[in-house]
Amino acid sequence: MARSTKGSGPELRRTVTPWGSFAWGYSDVGADIFVGLGLVLAWAAGASNVAFLFAGIVYVCIGLAYTELAATYPVAGGGQYFVMRGLGDIFGFIAGWAVLLDFTIDVTLFAWSSVDYSSQLLPALVNSIHPWLHFTVVLALVVGLCILNVIGVRESTAFNGFVSALDVISETCILCFGFLFAFRPQLLIHAMHFNWPSPYDLMLGTSLAIVSFVGLESISQAAQETQRPASIIPRTSVSLILTILIFALAYSNLALGLAPWHPIVDAAGHAQQFWQIFPHNADNQGKAVALLAAQVPYYGAFAALYVPVLGAVLLLISSNSGVFGSSRIAYAMSSSNLLPSIFQRVHGKYRTPTISIVFFSTIAIVELIFAAAPALHPSVGSLYAHFFHGENGLEFLADLYAFGAATSYSFVFLGLIALRLSDPLSPRKFKIPLNLPLHVRGERVEFPVIAVIGFIGIFSILMFTLRTHALGRIFGPSWLLLGLILYLVYRAYRRLPLLRSQQRNWRAAQVDILRRAGELELMDEYVANLKASDARRAAPRT
Amino acid sequence: MIAPSSEVHVTVAGALAAIFIAGTVGSTLWWMLHPPSSYVQLIAERAESDLERMVGSLIVVFSPEIDSAHMMALAAKLARGERSELLALYVIEVPYTLPPDAEMAIEEREALDALGAAETIANSNNVTIRTETLKTRSTKQAVLDVAKREKADLIILGSFREGKYSGAPLGRTIEEIAADAKCDVLIGVEGKHGTLLIDESAQASSQPI
Repeated sequence: MARSTKGSGPELRRTVTPWGSFAWGYSDVGADIFVGLGLVLAWAAGASNVAFLFAGIVYVCIGLAYTELAATYPVAGGGQYFVMRGLGDIFGFIAGWAVLLDFTIDVTLFAWSSVDYSSQLLPALVNSIHPWLHFTVVLALVVGLCILNVIGVRESTAFNGFVSALDVISETCILCFGFLFAFRPQLLIHAMHFNWPSPYDLMLGTSLAIVSFVGLESISQAAQETQRPASIIPRTSVSLILTILIFALAYSNLALGLAPWHPIVDAAGHAQQFWQIFPHNADNQGKAVALLAAQVPYYGAFAALYVPVLGAVLLLISSNSGVFGSSRIAYAMSSSNLLPSIFQRVHGKYRTPTISIVFFSTIAIVELIFAAAPALHPSVGSLYAHFFHGENGLEFLADLYAFGAATSYSFVFLGLIALRLSDPLSPRKFKIPLNLPLHVRGERVEFPVIAVIGFIGIFSILMFTLRTHALGRIFGPSWLLLGLILYLVYRAYRRLPLLRSQQRNWRAAQVDILRRAGELELMDEYVANLKASDARRAAPRT
Repeated sequence: MIAPSSEVHVTVAGALAAIFIAGTVGSTLWWMLHPPSSYVQLIAERAESDLERMVGSLIVVFSPEIDSAHMMALAAKLARGERSELLALYVIEVPYTLPPDAEMAIEEREALDALGAAETIANSNNVTIRTETLKTRSTKQAVLDVAKREKADLIILGSFREGKYSGAPLGRTIEEIAADAKCDVLIGVEGKHGTLLIDESAQASSQPI
């Protein structure tokens, strides 16, 4: 009698199409520029485009690394899985824990920015005027998203795809009309020449620019549900990298060289350039794209009405991706014995990881309180001004976001290098360019030079973050330390190796991953590579 | 400092940047949405295009020997999905002992029932259907002639009726049509639905331990 070759357990259906995969990433990364642009213009001033360029180069390296890894290992764990497989359990935990920090920040930061964008049409929500109302609405959004995720209601993939498509078209229109009607090269040169920031501010601006490129993790997380991931993910990742890079560079250059449609003047009545409305103005920093869109001749009249709404929706989707992303990562880490099994527990009625969702949403609320505190109470404000250079709420959240991203990305680069050396037999349908051929333990391997360049870049951004972000350098490492203690206590309790890794059969796991991914040709190639490698090793003995 | 101007005028650099942005974003997304097909997808695509070629025009054949009522329901669903043309053909074979236009009241009454049922099935599936009754000396030749006239892509036949065994497992007429047709032929032999597992389990339980 014929037997089914499939396992008895249910498998995730592969329903994510190329556009779905792109939209999954875009709803996360695409929203970043809405937050990052104002912050970078505020600090990097005339060098904002340079800050974005530097962060963009690092981001391209990160994107290429994620693309290769997600196409080679299409599993749901994302960065922490790659690092765990390449460097071992404890490093996998650190990378995953840093990503978890990013996801919790993601919830608060994007809910905060969503309210900021809404304030463009609803002035009652302006943070500097009504801080308590702003705080209450952000809190309500975070709690609301938490409840929706607990009861299992999510925006559909189709809605995600629709909003992403609308946003790509919208941003392309803003930039095209902006460059066509309002770009003055002499203003750009003037801003760069006369408003070049100090090295400290440039470092700060560059570390904030990386905020505009965080979220590639989402594509690799959806790898397990993507159709033909090894073929589709390289395309969607490369397209996402290019689109976001073009948008970020174009926005920063346009902002510096924009001749505003409605003249901008300072308190003394002097004409100002567009980018000058951002330094020392947290309200403007939170809604930079909406302000820029409104200054584009002709198109701005229309854009002023819909961009705040579109931005608010996209940011809310991104905030929601933080809620379910954190529970998803925690679930994957728990499955690999990196976190307690309580994070895998599914609610009996709603079939959602309730404990995980509530736990990380609570952390997001704690972060919100820290971010909003200086605006809510003057004494806390003066405390922040004294100890933390007076960072505002948005900057505090962006600090931690940059810290978490830079930490996890640093480990992903190291994981990539380690996997190239330790697992050369896995077929790589996409490979980062610029590789050095080497021989390690009898196998031909290719050493990724780009990964080294990327690591240096992201590590320098991590150093910039620690150097320039007063709050980030305290809270970021504290988060990692807290996680490490939790990890060691859990591993000791479960009598698992503390610093070493658990024994795993990666060969069998890889065959299973490729079979489940539907990449049957790659599975055949991998099995053939294994046989050839075993034969080579056995040959000298016979 | 240089005062920003509120006047609108297009610069070469700005226009080039706008074209570059629109072109790059558009072409990148187009490239992303058109990945090459895998081997498995190519097989599936070929089968899909074969199906389109196969089901443009359908003929469901009835006769006193061929019971196609259950295949009519399948044909109607297929025709609805693929927007095919559907013809229900009832063939009455006139024996050589009778003149070609001999009246065959019982068979003609059966034809009305069969084609009426076919129309009902088609209507319930929201499909347009044509019906036709033919008297002929050879069912096979009549079916092949109609198929040629209609430029049919698929002839659908049911199973031969019990008690009319003609020396061929599927019925001689059905096998001859399948052998000589210049288009695809779908033959639906009715089984005893739901008995497969019962039979197997009964066999298994009857085996000695």
